[in-house]
Order: sequence, then structure tokens, then C-alpha cells
Amino acid sequence: MSFLAGYVQYIGSFGLVLIGLYIVLVKTNLIKVILGINLIDTGVNLFLVSVGYIRMGTAPIFSQAEAAGREMVDPVPQALVLTAIVIGVSVVALALSVAIRLYEHYGTLNLCKIRELKW
Amino acid sequence: MRRALSLIVLLVLAVGLASALRGPSVGAEARRASLIDDDEVNFGRRYNSRAVEETGASNVVASVLVTYRGLDTLGEVTVLFVAATGLAALLHTGRRRRSEREATPASLIVFTGCRFLFPLILLFGAYIFAHGHLTPGGGFQGGAIIASGFLLIYLGCRGRQPESKRLSAVESLAGLAFVLIGLIGLAVGGSFLLNFLPEGSPYALLSAGIIPVVYVFIGFKVGSELGGIVGDLSGAR
Amino acid sequence: MLLIAAPLGLAFITPLLGLLSERLTRYVPAAAMAFNFTLGLLLLPRVLREPWIVETAGLRPPFSIHLVAGPLGVGLSLLIALVGLLVSIYAIGYVREGPVAKYHTLYLLLLVGATGMVLSADLFNLFVFFEILCISSYALVGYRGDRAGIESSAKYLVQGAIGSSLILLGIGFVYGLFGTLSMADIARNVDSVTPMKVFISMAFLITGFGVEAAVLPLNAWLPDAHSSAPSSISAILSGIAIKAGLYAVARVVFTIYGADTMPMLVLLVGILTLLVGEMSAFSQNNIKRLLAYSSIGQIGLIVFALGLASASGVQGALFLVVSHALAKALLFLSVGYMIYRTGSMEISSLYGMGRRMPVSSLCFTIGAFSLVGLPPFIGFAAKFTVIRAALAGAAPLLTALVAIVLLGTVVEGAYFFRIVQGLHFRPPPEGAAPEQTDQYEAPVSALVPICLLAAIIVAVGLYPGVLTKYLGPAAMDLLDKAAYIHHVLGV
Repeated sequence: MSFLAGYVQYIGSFGLVLIGLYIVLVKTNLIKVILGINLIDTGVNLFLVSVGYIRMGTAPIFSQAEAAGREMVDPVPQALVLTAIVIGVSVVALALSVAIRLYEHYGTLNLCKIRELKW
Repeated sequence: MRRALSLIVLLVLAVGLASALRGPSVGAEARRASLIDDDEVNFGRRYNSRAVEETGASNVVASVLVTYRGLDTLGEVTVLFVAATGLAALLHTGRRRRSEREATPASLIVFTGCRFLFPLILLFGAYIFAHGHLTPGGGFQGGAIIASGFLLIYLGCRGRQPESKRLSAVESLAGLAFVLIGLIGLAVGGSFLLNFLPEGSPYALLSAGIIPVVYVFIGFKVGSELGGIVGDLSGAR
Repeated sequence: MLLIAAPLGLAFITPLLGLLSERLTRYVPAAAMAFNFTLGLLLLPRVLREPWIVETAGLRPPFSIHLVAGPLGVGLSLLIALVGLLVSIYAIGYVREGPVAKYHTLYLLLLVGATGMVLSADLFNLFVFFEILCISSYALVGYRGDRAGIESSAKYLVQGAIGSSLILLGIGFVYGLFGTLSMADIARNVDSVTPMKVFISMAFLITGFGVEAAVLPLNAWLPDAHSSAPSSISAILSGIAIKAGLYAVARVVFTIYGADTMPMLVLLVGILTLLVGEMSAFSQNNIKRLLAYSSIGQIGLIVFALGLASASGVQGALFLVVSHALAKALLFLSVGYMIYRTGSMEISSLYGMGRRMPVSSLCFTIGAFSLVGLPPFIGFAAKFTVIRAALAGAAPLLTALVAIVLLGTVVEGAYFFRIVQGLHFRPPPEGAAPEQTDQYEAPVSALVPICLLAAIIVAVGLYPGVLTKYLGPAAMDLLDKAAYIHHVLGV
């Protein structure tokens, strides 16, 4: 299985995305759907970080103790992921507040029952 | 039926993703082999090699976040602000009903423990964002730690909570300060978010121009924002 | 640069102001958009000659984030500022309940996000401003807190969140392949990678942005969201937000990947969206859902025009964007007070409004006629440009598609005429209380923007040359990949 060694991070991140997408599409409880969104975000962030990885690379921080011997990983995906994590948290926070209000109105979080707006 | 459809969609997606990775693969690792040591070609290598001299920060990610991609960071701070405001707006109307719920007061041990820990957590968060340009960490991480201190207060010391008005005042002022720093850069040097403070020597605390200053403001903003979100969600405000 | 920073700074102060005095916060978005509008007008002549590249952090592109204030960017910011200004004047009187200061903060931030999107020249920056737009719209849809609003907000949010994740996935692929995020830089290197990878990353980006742009399979959220939101928000969503999503798709496809990769699929998707939108609108009884489905139809038409991938096609698309933004905002705003007075969104309850609210009904009529494409209004010039562009090639398939477009227009005319006839010529419904049938026009703060929008629609309709002078360079801004790269990178 050594040919997979270079692909582990992609399999992991895409796996998370696909699992999250499955949850969002199939599950009916709104909280589970929100967790699915969170999973998708986690998977995508993992993918973004792994794009910048260099084998045997070290963190892109200079420090007095360490000589700049090893090559450093790409710092840009790390900055992108910071931003993406914050955006994901914001969406989830807003979603949770919507869920709270929805529960107050309908008394249930089952999406099949929350279908007042029809055609 | 729905399950079958979604499984088909996922299968198509998986096939698409897998085929995108065939051949020369995606990522910096792959590009390292193919490109000779050329700084001009892609971001990663250029930032790594020139960040210290251009910005003075030892943490390259910090200089990327604040200087090279500072506008993205401003946008990110705005997104958090939008979410906090939207959340407060959505939870506003139901508030009256919710706040009548009585919560049992916490026991003495929990209460004292939380009061003891809270300033320590704030201090730790402040340390993280003050040293963001030297060590891993930075404004967002420090702000999140501060918010967890607020969460501790909401959970452990029921009945005592931070002033919500003061929190939103801090949040707004910190955001405004970030924009103003950028505008000062525009006025002084001709481009937004220009690094106009002296760079100092690397590894020192007061170095890297505006990066620690911006991080301090981001830390305040994120901390008060997430604290406000936690407070809104717990129904205390 | 000030176009973004100034409103953003104001948005941050708004909650502080709200603590002092809630009445004051109502004027903040209007002031910010007025500032943007004047700034845009001042910039426009200069950028027509040569786009202005603004860099941040003092580093030349592509190594810092930069903004491109070209004719398209400044033109669209002008449109955003204009519509934003008029709707915010309307909202001064319309939004009365709930946390008003927060409404105005969110509203201003929505416009900031849209303005940032059209000016950005960096892919991730485009995404960040897009998220600002999206998240404020999720919150604003549910602002009123009623059952319908919260439910639509939930559905919109879930679908939008998936869309954003797809965009991020696409950005990850792009960065992994090219090592850069500046759109000009990516455009320069696009040919060095196998077409399959290019296609996959483009597919992710288009699908993600397409959720917000409401193209065919991804627009399930739109009818609910636009009909349950407060009317001023519906106006902004239909007028600006979906156009922003479409702009992102167009920018990604044209500037990064090049116009000749535009597949026939896009034309078909556009036509299908148009048909589905108009047919669904025809059978609606709820006026706001009808307007929402009509928006879907118009987006289909704009996608069709973009799919032509020719200079005149893109010009037509931009013209449609302007005319639809103006007309749809006008329709939603005029309907807003009508709904408020009658308390119902059924079309039958609007009968006889022509007598009770004559100015609003007249402006509604103008907006409706413009949307359908009748001669003295701007909609006519816009649709005419598109059809002429489509027929220019003289390909048989295109001619058939044009026939379908005309069919869609006929359907549109049918349902709008039905409403207009009901407004002016039918008596009010039985059982309406006497005070509901007396003359009682909307307040001045609502009438001013409605009349201004109607006036603009008529004025530009009579003198389309005023607008078409700017559409040519704007279209080239979108289409001409080499010129874009040259301006940004100096290569």
C-alpha cells in the first residue's frame, strides 16, 4: 500500500467532505445537518493545508534556536485556512441561532416537518 | 430514494476528485520537484525567503496574514462581525421569553474556581496574541482563548456576566482601529495596510512594524465577539 | 480603495451609534452609499481609459492582494451604490421593529461585500468578500423572525454553506496547481496544466458561486428566501446579491480560463433557467414569490447572454444586469408598502390598488413593463442588445434558442399584464374594511426612491446611449484576458 502514502492526506480530507455531504443530504435533524456542514468545512480546510505540505518540511517560523537548515512548508495555505476556519465558525454560529429560533416556532427540528412554505 | 440519489451524487463527486489527482499531483511537494529555485514563480517560496527582511516578523504566517494578505484578514474579521451581529439580531426577539428561566446558582467550589481561572485565561490569550509575530499563534487564536474564558464565566458563575454593552463597544472600536491602521498606511505610504512602523530587529517583541499592533486589535475584537456570541447563544444577554 | 474602506469603517461604528441613539443609525447606510456613489462617478472617466490597479501592503502584484478598478468594477460599484442608496432611503421608514441598528449594520456590510467582490483581483479575496455578502444575507432574510422567514433562512443557509465549501475546494485545487492566487497570474499559467484538472477546479468554483447566483439546479432556496424577507431586503437580494454571484462566475470563467472554453452547456442551462423561472412565476398567487421566480428567469436570460461569449453578448448581459437590478428593486419596493397596507401577499388582495396608492401602482407598472421589455424603458434596449447579439452568428441552434427566449418574454408579459390589469382596473376585493380602501399612499421616505428608480428606468430607456458608452469597455474588461494580465502584471 505504499503507493497511497503520498495520498493519505487527500483521501482523508475528501473522505471527510464526502461524509459531511452525505449527512447534509440525507439526515433530517437540523442539528445533524449543521454538524455535517462543520464536517465539510473541516475536510476542506484539511485539504487546503495539505496542499502546502512539503515532505520533511518544518513550520514557517524562524527562531534563534534553530538554524534554517530544513525547508519550510508553504505559509500561504495556513493563512488561508485560518481565514476559512473563522468563516466556517461564523456560518455555524449563525446556523445555530437560526436553529434556536426555528425550534421556538415549530417545536421540532425535524426538517421533514418544517415545510410550511410550499409551492 | 433520497439516500440513493445522494449516494449517486457522492459517487460522481468522488470520481471527480480522484481523477483530479491523477498524474502530476497537486501541491507544493510536487512543485518543488518540478521548479528550480525560482522565487518569482510561486508564493510559498517567495514568502519564506523574503518575509523576514520585508516585514521583520519571524513568524512567516503572521506576515502573510497581516501584510501580504492583510485585506483577507480584514474581510475575515468583518465576516465574524457580520455573524455576531446577525446572531444577535436573530435571537433578539425571543429574548424576553428566554431570560425568565431560572438557573440554579453554581456551587461555591465551581464559582471560586472559575473566578480564579478567568484572569489567568485572559492573560494567556493576551500572551498569545501579543507574541503572534514571534511564535505560533496570533490574533485569532488569542481571541478564541479569551472567548473561552468568557464561556467559563457563563457556565460556572451563573448570575454574573460581563456587560454586553461594553463588549460590543470594544468589538466596534477594535474593528474601527483595524480599518484606521490600514487607512493610515494609505495616507502615509500610498497603499492600504502598508507597514509603516519601524521594523526593528527580528525575535524582539517590538518588531515587525504594524503586525503586533494589528494582532492586538484582532485579539480584542475576536475575543469580545466570540464572547458575545457565546453569551447570546446561552440566553444570558 | 476608499470605496471599500469607508463604508466598512462606518459599518463598524454603527453599533456604537446604536447604543447612543437608534434613530441615527438609519441614516448611516444611506450616507455611506451616497459617498460611494459620488466617488464612483468621479473615478469612472479615469478608469475608462486605463484600469487603476490598487495594491495593498506596498508590494507590486502578484505578490500582494490587489484591486482592479476597471470600467466593469467601478461601473458595478456605481450600480451597487445607487441601488443600495435608494433602498436604504426606503428602509429608513420601512424597518421599524426589531433591532434596527443591527439591520442597518448588516445591510451596509452586505453592500460592502458586494462592492469588494466586484473590485477584487485575487481569487481568495473574492471569496472572502463573497462570504461577507452571503452571511449578511442569511441573517437579513430571517430578520423579521416570523415562521416563514426563519425557515427560508435555514434552507438558504444550508445550501449557501455547501456552496461556499465547494468554492474553497476549488480554490484549494487552483492554489495547488498554480501556486498563486492572483487571478491574472493564474490566467497567465492556465495552459501549463492538463485540461482535466482545469475543468475540475472550474467546475467546483462555478458550482459554488452558482448557488448564490441561482442557476438552474441550485436555486431551490431563492423563492423562499426572496419572498419571506422584508421587502427592502428582497429588493437588494434580487437586485444585487444574485448578480454578484453571477459576476463571480463570469469573472472566473472569462478572465481566468478564457472565453473560448465556454461550453454550449451554459447556453442550455440559461435557457432552461429562463423557462423554469417564467413558467413557475406564471402560476403563482403570491406576489413576492412571483417576483422571485421572475428573478430566476431573468438570471437565466443573463446566463444565456454570457454564454454567447462574444463582445456584444457580454454587453447585452451587463445591460440586462443593470436593467434588472433597477426594475426588480423598483417592483419589490413598490409592492412592499402595498403588502404592508393590506397585510397579505396574495395577488387578489392587490386589486384596486391603482386607486388607493396611485404613485406606487404607476411605478410598479413602469417596473413591470421595463422587465418585460417594452419600448420606452431600459429593459427593451437591454433585451434587444442580447437578441441582436444572439442572432449575429446566424447559427440555426442559436436562432431556435432566441425563439425560446421570446417565448419566455411572452409568458412574462402575460403574468405581469395580469397583475397590472388587476392593480388598475379591478375593484378591491369584497369584504375589505372601508379604511383599507381609501386613498392612503406610502410615506415620502418610500416614495422618493421608488419614483427615482422609475425615473431612471424611463430616462435611460429613452437615451440608452448614456449607458452603452460604458458597456463596451466594461465588456472588454471581462472578456479580454490578455489585456487584463497586461494591466495587472505589466507583462
